[in-house]
Amino acid sequence: MPRCQAPISEETLLDYWARELAEGDETDRLEEHLFACGDCSARLSQLAALGSGLTTLVRQGRVAGIVSRALLNRMQRDGIHVRMYSLAPGETVPCAVFPGDDLVVAALRADFSGVDAVTLSVTGPAGSPGGQTGEVPVAGPDAEVFWATPAAVVRQMPSMRLQLTLVSAGATPAELGSYVLDHTASTLSGT
Amino acid sequence: METIVDSTDGDLARAVAARRPGSSEAAESELYRRFAPRVRLYGRRHLRDEDAAGDLVQQVMLLTIEKLRGGSVRDVDQIASFVLGVSRTKVKDLKRLEWRREKLREVFIVPEVVEAPVDEATLDVDRLEACLARLAERERVVVLLTFYAERTASEVGRELGVKEGHVRVIRHRAVERLRTCMTSREVAQ
Repeated sequence: MPRCQAPISEETLLDYWARELAEGDETDRLEEHLFACGDCSARLSQLAALGSGLTTLVRQGRVAGIVSRALLNRMQRDGIHVRMYSLAPGETVPCAVFPGDDLVVAALRADFSGVDAVTLSVTGPAGSPGGQTGEVPVAGPDAEVFWATPAAVVRQMPSMRLQLTLVSAGATPAELGSYVLDHTASTLSGT
Repeated sequence: METIVDSTDGDLARAVAARRPGSSEAAESELYRRFAPRVRLYGRRHLRDEDAAGDLVQQVMLLTIEKLRGGSVRDVDQIASFVLGVSRTKVKDLKRLEWRREKLREVFIVPEVVEAPVDEATLDVDRLEACLARLAERERVVVLLTFYAERTASEVGRELGVKEGHVRVIRHRAVERLRTCMTSREVAQ
């Protein structure tokens, strides 16, 4: 097969796969090229494989870190079992993972007025650092920050208290809220 | 020595149309191997359903081979356009028939036709999980919203309070980072 003389850019392939190209001449031309060109169709196939892999991970609840409300809604629609704990600043909430759970999510509320990104710090027992996540996007004053952990990971955790702290990002960081998850380890087999 | 895999699409189509004993079968197989993955991708892109995309491959490739054998393809050098045209028509049909998959199977599927090849490189999901964890929070959310939740850049922008153009930049960068990570030797699993 002859090599491609006019490879489609990665950005265009990505836009096409994400349905961001306007249906019409541009998409028609692109599809003509993809059907005639083994190189570009193979590159699109790799992109599609990446998308399939990401979908597989989400469906298995293997997503850790910050997620969004739209993502959670879609997961719940797809039958993924999300156990959600909602916390206000200063609140301590008892938590555990249960049979059938796929993902455990802490929904952190705060007054995000004037804030467009935050840093989330996690502190374990006796003040041991549990990690820090920076540049977490926040959309609006009433937004929430959703911190997800795969249920499979939570099942391995001993009983412990985790302190979560949100600090505004930017030149003058300010604490927006501190939260405690009082975790009880699973005692039943398979939970 | 030139082999069948070096043939152009037009040469393959010509060989199928000529129905020369001993050569047209090999040409049909190569044509199928070459186009089935492209039809499947097209189906996934437009139907968003793996099974429906698999059905589309069967229908399109069957019709293409039949038309070639019957001499009804006017310009065999434009066989890619022909396959695309059939794919477009079939996708419209599938949409119109509201995914009546079982009935379509009964009508179109022919067991002798080989299964559509798995066109995608099999992805190491464990490795992808490690690579996903390495992305910045914003990048991770954007790729998940794009590929899993099927959100447009504009929708993702609204969700994250970021401009649409910036979402595209983040998305492109995140995909590049995932690709690089997937081929890197350094990722601990």
